Amino acid sequence: MALVVLAVVFLVVAGLYAVGVLQFMVSDPNASHHYTHAILFSVLAVASLIGANFARAKRTG
Amino acid sequence: MVMPSGSIYGYIGDQMTLAQALFMGLLQGATELFPVSSLGHAVLIPSLLHWGFKQSDPSFVPFLVLLHLGTAGALLFIYRSQWVAIIKGFFTAAVRGRIETPTERLAMLLLVGTIPAGILGVYLEHELKNLFASPTAAACFLIANGFLMLGAEVLRRRAERRAAVTAKTRVEQEESFGAAEQISFRAAALVGACQALALLPGISRSGITIGGGLLAGLRHEEAARFSFLLATPIIAAAGVLEIPQLFSTAVPWAEYLAAATLAGSAAYLSARFLLRYFRSGRLDPYGWYCAAAGVISLALLTFRP
Repeated sequence: MALVVLAVVFLVVAGLYAVGVLQFMVSDPNASHHYTHAILFSVLAVASLIGANFARAKRTG
Repeated sequence: MVMPSGSIYGYIGDQMTLAQALFMGLLQGATELFPVSSLGHAVLIPSLLHWGFKQSDPSFVPFLVLLHLGTAGALLFIYRSQWVAIIKGFFTAAVRGRIETPTERLAMLLLVGTIPAGILGVYLEHELKNLFASPTAAACFLIANGFLMLGAEVLRRRAERRAAVTAKTRVEQEESFGAAEQISFRAAALVGACQALALLPGISRSGITIGGGLLAGLRHEEAARFSFLLATPIIAAAGVLEIPQLFSTAVPWAEYLAAATLAGSAAYLSARFLLRYFRSGRLDPYGWYCAAAGVISLALLTFRP
């Protein structure tokens, strides 16, 4: 469950970087979109979902 | 303003000639996979040869993008059948929630290894490149890179003695170590994170990941294979993400594509050579080369008129 929540958080952060709301540690603060950061957090969200699926499969045996 | 030219001595960018572009393509393709730092050589050699073009110039970015795409293309071509199996294994294991085959394990190891490199790369690339983008820093890091690889081999030889590997030939000796699929997830994450050190000009991505693979108990050839597989998504992503830059400036396509093709061909031949070399070879010659090249470059940069 924690990993699913983490995946949602990562997706939100990815969205915020994509629309330019989030400017944390970006190389060009004047850019309106930060797609590299957005893609990174999207990958992290996918990885978290995979982790959640692995944990679920382990629990259910 | 980019002015394409048909002459081999003519300028194709603001300051780079076609001959220089082709040389840089060859250099990038060869040094990207050899454990000698492509970034270090790309910073050092133009400076030592007194070439005037600036790599920080915006017109240089599309050129680098194409070179990286050429290198990534060569790696994808070499491992095309493995990548098909890895991608298939990735989705199968992700949906099933369980790893059942060595290929599925390798796919997950590559994901685990790529994430730390991606995080560190995205957040530190700009800062590190700005901090250390000088030829002197590149020479110092090249020396450090050499000693890192020599150190990895010293530790590997100790591991061989501890494991009492008494095989007669190097090939037999190597066979007592593991394949890429057997590396632990923690080691894969550490090796992946080490890739970020390659943002420092002079530190080799392949050198550091092959060294890490050796310390994790892989055979030299398998450490090189894991290093190349791990590098492919990062190099390809870095290239693909910068594709819009190709269309933001007027680019002399024919010349740049020729350089990218040369980079891809050099990367292909380098990978073929290295995979064969590491069946019995060690990192030592590259370690000594980096240390010597770093010392010589440092001396030339310090004492040149």
